[in-house]
Amino acid sequence: MENPLRSPYPDYNVLDKWSSLDWDDQTRDAVSRRLFNVPEIRFFTESEKRTLEAVVERIVPQPDRRQDERIPIVPWIDEKLHGDRRDGYRYDGMPPQREAWRRGLAGIDDTSSAIFDGKGFADLDGPAQDEVLRRIEHGDPPGATWTTLPAGRFFTSVLCVSIVKTYYAHPSAWSEVGYNGPSSPRGHMRIWEDGVDPWEAHEPPDGPAMTASNKAGDAER
Amino acid sequence: MTQGNGMGSHTRTAGANGERPLLAPGIHGEAVPMRDWSRDEVDVCVVGAGAGGGVVGAKLAEAGFSVVILDAGPHWDPLHDFVSDETASHKLFWTEERVTGGKDPVELGSNNSGQGVGGSTVHYSMIAMRLHADDFRRRTLEGSIAGADLQDWPLTYEDLEPYYEEVEQALQIAGPVHYPWQKRRRRFPQREHQLNASANMLVRGCAALGIPVAAAPVATLSAPHRDRPPCVYRGFCNYGCSTNAKSSILVTYIPRAIRAGAEVRPNAMVARIEHDATGRATGVLHFRTGPSSGHNGSELFRQRAKAIIVAGYAIETPRLLLNSASPLFPNGLANSSGMVGRYFMIHAGHQTFAKFPERIGQYKAPPGLAITEHFNRTMPDVDFSCGYTVEVVGPHVGDFAGRMSAARNLWGSALRRAMFDYNYYSGLGIVGETLPRLDNRVKLHDTERDRYGLPVAHVLFGHHENDQRLIDHSIGKMTEILRAARGEDVWGVNRTAHLMGTCRMGSDPNASVVDADGRAHDVPNLFICDGSVFPTSGAVNPSLTIQAIAARTADRVQAAAARGEL
Ligand SMILES: Cc1cc2nc3c(=O)[nH]c(=O)nc-3n(C[C@H](O)[C@H](O)[C@H](O)COP(=O)(O)OP(=O)(O)OC[C@H]3O[C@@H](n4cnc5c(N)ncnc54)[C@H](O)[C@@H]3O)c2cc1C
Ligand code: SF4
Repeated sequence: MENPLRSPYPDYNVLDKWSSLDWDDQTRDAVSRRLFNVPEIRFFTESEKRTLEAVVERIVPQPDRRQDERIPIVPWIDEKLHGDRRDGYRYDGMPPQREAWRRGLAGIDDTSSAIFDGKGFADLDGPAQDEVLRRIEHGDPPGATWTTLPAGRFFTSVLCVSIVKTYYAHPSAWSEVGYNGPSSPRGHMRIWEDGVDPWEAHEPPDGPAMTASNKAGDAER
Repeated sequence: MTQGNGMGSHTRTAGANGERPLLAPGIHGEAVPMRDWSRDEVDVCVVGAGAGGGVVGAKLAEAGFSVVILDAGPHWDPLHDFVSDETASHKLFWTEERVTGGKDPVELGSNNSGQGVGGSTVHYSMIAMRLHADDFRRRTLEGSIAGADLQDWPLTYEDLEPYYEEVEQALQIAGPVHYPWQKRRRRFPQREHQLNASANMLVRGCAALGIPVAAAPVATLSAPHRDRPPCVYRGFCNYGCSTNAKSSILVTYIPRAIRAGAEVRPNAMVARIEHDATGRATGVLHFRTGPSSGHNGSELFRQRAKAIIVAGYAIETPRLLLNSASPLFPNGLANSSGMVGRYFMIHAGHQTFAKFPERIGQYKAPPGLAITEHFNRTMPDVDFSCGYTVEVVGPHVGDFAGRMSAARNLWGSALRRAMFDYNYYSGLGIVGETLPRLDNRVKLHDTERDRYGLPVAHVLFGHHENDQRLIDHSIGKMTEILRAARGEDVWGVNRTAHLMGTCRMGSDPNASVVDADGRAHDVPNLFICDGSVFPTSGAVNPSLTIQAIAARTADRVQAAAARGEL
């Protein structure tokens, strides 16, 4: 059984500060687009989308949220690829980003099919999906795609980081980790150890937010 | 006109010939009238409006020269364009494709290059340090190291010291009264900032180990200065400062340049430098884009100039010179030595994080408020030359999650749980000297083209084994400091910072691209004025040195003009 994903800041919602001195107009604009204008899928094919959705569910699982409360991730990756907005570099040996994503997602299904008798990634159970992703992450997965696309590089510098950063760009993720989020024009006063401004995420009254189960070492897998 | 430089007439005034003057965004949301030099031959055309270009352009405009500063990116309006959000700030970075390779490929993009007026200083961390006298004489001090090509600079610390003073005053650097590692003639212009929890952590760890430590000198105001307010510890410095406290080039030298009659032309991507039959530069060809320009980037415009100063940073500067190859300069402009693009350097930038019993909140206040230069020297009893500075870092939540996930192969519920402790993490990073190597280089990519059809940069980098030993040593020291400050659960992530080299300065025209004045050995009216002129990297953040060199280059250009050489 997985540990419950209980936030140490259950009473904190960064969006409560929407009209406060922490949010200026341009930031409200940017974040409201993220909240209310989730784009249609225009780049990925139906089957690519299905595979990527399954991958996302393993990289940042959200069993603690109702379907309609989950942080959308695939649409934002799709939007970036649809507009072909680049990151400013790519590694030698990696194709341009659109091609990298198409081939990488095909590769995930290749590997899945090679290990699990022809099954696509989205049809595997969770532990089997993790095994496929770990093999790709370690750079030695079976599957024809990976002879021409560096698997470890694709996993770490394209797939995983995009998903993780998209997740932690969402106000719901900010709230669960107690991140202050936007802070202009107000800024901060209590910048010292254990200093918490009144408008920041507060510790629950019954002890420090860092729970025993979250102490050093537990994060190690 | 204050200078009798004989470089050109300054009779044309804004709005002459019945034209309306151009308008540029001011730093308080106002529109500022600006001259339009697009139809004239100007005295000086500067390519790149960042740390180097902003300083040299403003000083020359104030000295009475007609100046145009071109930048590939937009002219930001800091109060309205800068967003308190990591993702929405992507526009500040150089996001055009580059290809990165070699044994240890360098991460580019938001990690090290900006685009737009102000350049990378719009999103830099503001740590404003001087090099040390020894840094200008690495070859003499370390001797010859196999596999590297250390060089003494053609400048000394004494040559640059007055210019360090000048730019520290202009930027109103805030720093400690006593700075342990450097003798100063004058105090920092502003008092040091209050330390945040991350900086206190470094102080605590160093104190426990007997390592000297100090508040970092930083380019953000600790007290009001003229029309700018002090820092409010908002902590979004790497995403553009929306209060104007940060002394970026955008809010310091650029307004000075415009006031002195320069034109700052945004969304102007320079494609090539032109020259005449004698090999003198005559102007630049550039593409214009963006709503304010009324152009879509398909046409080339010519800006004529008597002298050209390239300040595009250590990847775009060599790329532009290589893209300017011609029958007279078949290997690229100013490249008879073959050294354009060579000796590309970065700083080792390994970061080490730990979890603390106190709440830190590393997103609050500027990220690097304390430092130690204790290891910034060639130390006895170690197996490597040169050294590193240790600084505090403070990634916001998305960057932190990305780093932790990559460093620890962490994803799934384990990642989400580990991130619940985000507020309890704090980290250190180094600025470590790397040795210059001939094979580390920027060249033109064989096949890849940008949206204008220009070959993109292909960046190749591999560490010298000395770099690797230095990094290993620093990981040990950072871990000791974090533990001494009561940190647990220590982990690290391999990173790099800053771009240098690729047009190194030197006195030998066969082994360097520019001389001590930043002037190209091959082209008498072409100057380079940015991070690319560094012969060695030093182990401090480079901007203040880039700015000091730029302030000096402005004086040298003026002197050359007075001698009638331009
Ligand atoms: C996240 C981050 C943090 C940093 N923190 C620090 C710090 O704390 N202290 C420090 O000292 N340094 C820091 N740096 C590094 C510092 O910002 C750079 O070293 C410095 O700005 C480089 O100055 P430059 O003039 O060489 O180039 P830049 O400031 O990058 O300016 C170059 C400009 O040229 C323009 N340009 C390039 N090519 C062309 C072309 N062909 N046509 C038209 N325009 C062109 C670009 O758009 C850009 O605006 C940091 C950098 C980053 C990314
Ligand atoms: S912390 Fe200070 S310098 Fe940084 S963004 Fe905020 S006000 Fe500007």
